[in-house]
Amino acid sequence: MDDQACPRCKTTKYRNPSLKLMVNVCGHTLCESCVDLLFLKGSGSCPECNVPLRRSNFRVQMFEDPMVEKEIDIRKRVLKDYNKKEEDFETLREYNDYLEEIETIIFNLTNNIDVVNTNKRIEQYKKDNREIIMKNKVKIGQEELELEEILEIEKQMEELRRTEVVRLELEAKKQKIREKEALIDELMFADGDAKEILNTFAQNVASKQEEAVPPLPLVTQFSTGVKFTCGSAQSHLPVIEEGPLYRYEPPITPDRIGPDPPTIEEIINEGYLQHVKAENDTEKAGGYTSTLPCLRALQDALAGLYHTS
Amino acid sequence: MDEPLVRYEKIDFLGEGQFATVYKARDVKTDKIVAVKKIKIGSRLEAEDGINRTALREIKLLQELQHINLIGLLDVFGQKSNVSLVFDFMDTDLEIIVKDNNIVLTPANVKAYMIMTLKGLEYLHQNWILHRDLKPNNLLINKEGILKIGDFGLAKAFGSPTRINTHQVVTRWYRSPELLFGARQYGTGVDMWAIGCILAELLLRVPFLPGESDLDQLTRIFQVFGTPTEEIWPGMKCLTDYVQFKPFPPQQLRHIFSAASDDLLQLLESLLAIYPPKRCDCTQALQMPYFSNKPAPTVGPKLPMPSSISKIEIDKPSLKRKLLENMDGGSRAKRLQF
Repeated sequence: MDDQACPRCKTTKYRNPSLKLMVNVCGHTLCESCVDLLFLKGSGSCPECNVPLRRSNFRVQMFEDPMVEKEIDIRKRVLKDYNKKEEDFETLREYNDYLEEIETIIFNLTNNIDVVNTNKRIEQYKKDNREIIMKNKVKIGQEELELEEILEIEKQMEELRRTEVVRLELEAKKQKIREKEALIDELMFADGDAKEILNTFAQNVASKQEEAVPPLPLVTQFSTGVKFTCGSAQSHLPVIEEGPLYRYEPPITPDRIGPDPPTIEEIINEGYLQHVKAENDTEKAGGYTSTLPCLRALQDALAGLYHTS
Repeated sequence: MDEPLVRYEKIDFLGEGQFATVYKARDVKTDKIVAVKKIKIGSRLEAEDGINRTALREIKLLQELQHINLIGLLDVFGQKSNVSLVFDFMDTDLEIIVKDNNIVLTPANVKAYMIMTLKGLEYLHQNWILHRDLKPNNLLINKEGILKIGDFGLAKAFGSPTRINTHQVVTRWYRSPELLFGARQYGTGVDMWAIGCILAELLLRVPFLPGESDLDQLTRIFQVFGTPTEEIWPGMKCLTDYVQFKPFPPQQLRHIFSAASDDLLQLLESLLAIYPPKRCDCTQALQMPYFSNKPAPTVGPKLPMPSSISKIEIDKPSLKRKLLENMDGGSRAKRLQF
């Protein structure tokens, strides 16, 4: 750790004890202040390999060898898509082959072997398995959620138990003091034999201890978490508002006080159009047809014919 | 009629357009909240003509139209040389909802909006009126989740065999290709195209074809749907403003709207057909499987609302105060330097 140094500004851990080395997906390190300086705008390229990087992807270097960091990054990225589980395969053999393939891909990408083809392979895989990837992602997300919930509940129970134990201890201490006081009182004021009194008190204490089995809450009962997660998994599903399905209803036609005008079909088929100026090519190209004025004129003509004042 | 000045109590200023200012007001007589649109007196030249043309259209048409999905004109009153129109008060519009990133639009929500729009438009077309300015901004929505088509400033009767219409209608992004090519005789297709663009915008949450000029608009349309040929669009070359375009191959709508269901894509394709006679009308659209299929449309009160609706009155003064405080602080800091 002593010779840790930023490759850009050459600051070492010795000169700057608070030096924090960061690493990005390409596996090259930079110190925190260099990252701040170079990625002022949020993105830029790696000074060593010119790969475009995002500032938000920088993280503190945990392993001394940046290659390990790089591999972790790549593994994370690859496993996001290669998320099949053993259940998704028919035989163990296939599952093992699949795991082997993942390792090959990760190894290739880490060591810059045949990167283009490997990336193509990943793309192809993504395309072929889109549905199953999505499904597993949801599943994994749910599982993580369940796990988190269980952990949370366990933490709560732990806390509860700890306070309970503290309370019991305190209680026991108080009890002891009280008993002692009672014993002294008894010795002071009672007329009986001191030995006898001591004996009865000792017996009392012993029997009481047997009684006082601490009623600790049973943790195992809750740590299964099945009951709780079932409830919460449902709340994560989108709420489906079940309204009535739509059914088309024609708008109410106003009372025309006259005979019904022909429909569009009747206008076209029954020769009404012979008496109307036909649309020319330009008009037709604009979406105009002579059925429109024909229908409108007929509607206007027939409306109100039955009108009586 | 009551004295209008007394009848409508101004509550708030809502906005200002090219031809009018809109106020929120309370109708004292019915205790209803309404929107009062005060038409601006134009230039001398326009004033000679009398009342502004768009206002006249709104008065003329809306007085006779009555539908749950069309904005209701409640009253018209004059005062000196001003004319004011009183409308139903609407809390928001579709543009605000589409742009609000906090709102998630579910497929059921989109379906509900489309049904309400198409129903209003179907009634309009049935009464031989083209809206000619459909855009999310003109689809108004109230707190009960009822969508009403508003702004009839460009609406006009159609179906006359001789009348020449202008092609300079509809906001460019929602303008159909035949209008862009300068068609003077058109039908309901211009409104249907706009509906298609609005539906696409509801899915993408950004304008679907945001052209920067009329030519750019056509280019964008053809880049998606492919440049039409004489077979696809007969008579296209006769249109007044026809220009030859570079041939683009058509794209699959499925790739642009990757989350859309098949029945939705079918509707979208039918609304956005390049050849105007091929475009469906409202009745055909509403009868398509998309609307009767699951998921069922969201019922009105459950439709999303921007969070600012109830907050606006509280937020505004506090912001102002903050600004004032900042100004004060700034000047004080300066004085300290000397």
